[in-house]
Amino acid sequence: MTMNSSTGVGIEAVDLVKTFGSTRALDGVSFTVPSGSVFGVIGPNGAGKTTIMRSLLDLIRLSSGRATLLGTDSRNAGPELRRRIGYLPGELILEGRITGRRLLRHYANISGPVQAGRIDELADRLGLDLDRTVRTLSKGNKQKLGIVQAFMHQPDLLVLDEPTSGLDPLMQQEFLGLVREARDAGQTVFLSSHVISEIQQVADEVAILRDGRIITVSGVEALRDTAIRHLRMSASGIDVAELHDRLFPLAEVGELEVLPTATGAEATAILTGALSPFVRAIASLTLTDLVVEEPDLEESVLRLYSDPTAQPARRGLGQ
Amino acid sequence: MIATTRTATPARADRFDRRTALPIFTKSLSDGWRSVVGWSIGFAAALSLYLPIFPSMSGNSQMQDLIDSLPPELTRTINYQQIDTGAGYTQSTFFGLMGFLLISIAAISWGAAALGGDEESGQLELTLAHGVTRVQVALERFAALTLKILALVLVALLLILFWNGPAGLDLDLGNLVVTCLLFGGLALVCGSAALLCGALGGRRIWGIGGGAAVAVIGYVFNAIGNQSVDLEWLHNLSPYYAAFGNSPLANGTDAWTVVLFYAAALVLGGLAALTLRQRDVGV
Repeated sequence: MTMNSSTGVGIEAVDLVKTFGSTRALDGVSFTVPSGSVFGVIGPNGAGKTTIMRSLLDLIRLSSGRATLLGTDSRNAGPELRRRIGYLPGELILEGRITGRRLLRHYANISGPVQAGRIDELADRLGLDLDRTVRTLSKGNKQKLGIVQAFMHQPDLLVLDEPTSGLDPLMQQEFLGLVREARDAGQTVFLSSHVISEIQQVADEVAILRDGRIITVSGVEALRDTAIRHLRMSASGIDVAELHDRLFPLAEVGELEVLPTATGAEATAILTGALSPFVRAIASLTLTDLVVEEPDLEESVLRLYSDPTAQPARRGLGQ
Repeated sequence: MIATTRTATPARADRFDRRTALPIFTKSLSDGWRSVVGWSIGFAAALSLYLPIFPSMSGNSQMQDLIDSLPPELTRTINYQQIDTGAGYTQSTFFGLMGFLLISIAAISWGAAALGGDEESGQLELTLAHGVTRVQVALERFAALTLKILALVLVALLLILFWNGPAGLDLDLGNLVVTCLLFGGLALVCGSAALLCGALGGRRIWGIGGGAAVAVIGYVFNAIGNQSVDLEWLHNLSPYYAAFGNSPLANGTDAWTVVLFYAAALVLGGLAALTLRQRDVGV
């Protein structure tokens, strides 16, 4: 499953549990991020993404379990470890009264060493004016400041909580470019998002988190295999009942609806898993139309969120 | 002519940006100097209102008659028993009342903002994610708090020295210096209590509540203890009394009293650091 061949481990999380009072924010989360890879976490609000990130940074203390970052236990880790980490909080609050340049100089003072010119280079790429007072910047530009402070010291590990929030699509692409460059330079990236398409673009592996638990960890390709395809077809010389009987028994077909047409019948359904049983089943029909849409990762993941007991596709009987 | 704008794979031997020593401390000071200037102006206003009118108060028997006619409880509460001497007047009007109020508010607001306010705003989270320890952040901010308070104390000292001659206060320089140190120590204890409570609760209001409690209870216990011999034991619980009860501007004080205040502040600052180290931040 893991395609990365580099030897080190960027993050190893073992059975992370965090309770706040009676709320179990993390309920036994385990995952491994090989160094030099990009690991994405997706999940709805309140799933525990931010809690994982904060516990990795030792901002909050785990109730049990342990996390090892770059070979060092994160609990009470010294500043040496955090100098090798770049962190972008999900709720980025920056001091407003000073210019972006001065703010970044302050963070450069307390992060790993920053190469001369690196801050300007990043700001140029993101189209960020460093000489404006932070308070006067838009949300997107503040987010760019946060991205610069996370990337500027070229840390071995990047922990990025909803990094593209507030960025316009062009800047999202620029940011994803930064992430790819970081991976190519051997840096490990751990990022969360609710925008699945961007995780799909950069992540080597994806964890889906719900209610403080990881539902599944898989490669993006594997996730794509479980994804849902929308099907729309019509055939002539067949009636509704016959078409229904032909498609309904297939395990891959769900939410089937069959309607009569002037010349025959048409069906809509969703397809999951392998396509060939379906193709065999319709091979002898006289098709007048067949549309199988590209798998929608977002929808299949959202279905996982919405119903804890749901299979990726639910079977349903149309008329 | 070299026109490289971007290096694809920058060599590790490249030049790095220069770093500041004590980064949290220097940041606190560079953020806080405007506030110090503002409070200094307040000090200047208060001292320049009170001190120049001393000659018209002291030589004036009508003024003493007026004070004598006030209820003794009131004069004891606001410490106006001895305002016929320069030391008593300066103590009662500035160190014991207006100056105490101003420097306490400054110290408590700085102390409450340093950790509690910073956590509440969400900025502390990002600071602690960098290459610093929590103890370092707390102690460097405590050091900055101490320096800002001492800067205000120095402003007060210089202003009082300026008025000493013109207003005929006839203050002893040594006593003035130790009184200023006690004045700063008392404020620092209030500010450190605010720092500690802010670190405990993660909210600015916790710090303001804790610091104000030390200041107000100290003042009130002193005032009530002044009323009768039966209540004098309250003086033992009052930092305000410990600083000013023995009229240091007239009588001086022993070194231990001064040391005690700064040691107590250091303990509170250390507790703030240990508290912050244990806690979940930003939840």
